[in-house]
Amino acid sequence: MHPHLEVLLEIQDLKTQRRELEQAGADREVQESVFGLGVDEAVRQIELKIDEMVDSLPPPVRSRYTRMSAKHPRTVVPVIRGTCYGCFVQVPTALASDADRNEEIRSCQSCGRFLYLID
Amino acid sequence: MELREFFTEDAINLDLQGSSKDEILKELIGLLGLDEKAQGILFKMLKRRENLGSTGIGKGIAIPHCRSLVVNRLRVAFGRRNEGVDFKAIDDSPVQYFFLIVAPPLEVSNQYLPVLGKIAGFVKEADVPGRLSEVQTPREFLALLEEKAA
Repeated sequence: MHPHLEVLLEIQDLKTQRRELEQAGADREVQESVFGLGVDEAVRQIELKIDEMVDSLPPPVRSRYTRMSAKHPRTVVPVIRGTCYGCFVQVPTALASDADRNEEIRSCQSCGRFLYLID
Repeated sequence: MELREFFTEDAINLDLQGSSKDEILKELIGLLGLDEKAQGILFKMLKRRENLGSTGIGKGIAIPHCRSLVVNRLRVAFGRRNEGVDFKAIDDSPVQYFFLIVAPPLEVSNQYLPVLGKIAGFVKEADVPGRLSEVQTPREFLALLEEKAA
């Protein structure tokens, strides 16, 4: 896997985690009541980690990421069975079945999101 | 929805070998059969969650969990290490029973939180920790889930 794609994936996972904790709903309740998690402090720590990881990206990837994340909260999305799970449009077959899966940073031609190929 | 539906025999290990939190997490992740890179990413995510606060909820139980793009459906695993491992649990007791839950960021049927809640409810039943120590095979573990209709 391309090392920068790996960082992008981790950033997206952290953003998912932050979003769930921030929402005043079931996840926040479970985290507080079952695990005794201090949610506000946890969110603060996740934000710091996200900033640190975004800063670690090389400038061209970082600026593309920043631009895309302003437009789409889910900036990195999986491709499952040939479909971009950001815009749900089929990606070209050559991309979806590439033998060097995830060895390059690729974007959806339709929505521009970063793509992660998964079985 | 019943917990039994989500567990398979090959994602159950009743004899974990790890003696540290990291080793246990890696063994649990290994039960999911993901590729090496995906395992590495998942390990980092689970560690980050643990660093926010342990998922050891006391009475020898831990429920490490996270959402990650590296899985395309909800995955669960169960591991046991009878000797117990320091997991920095809420009650500071060693942890013997580990339920791993991993889900993609988006799920059609949105099962992640219900499954997390169900497992938390299952392990809080008074006799469950004792019963978990007694199961001899993955099949017996699955039968316990069925019996409790968890």
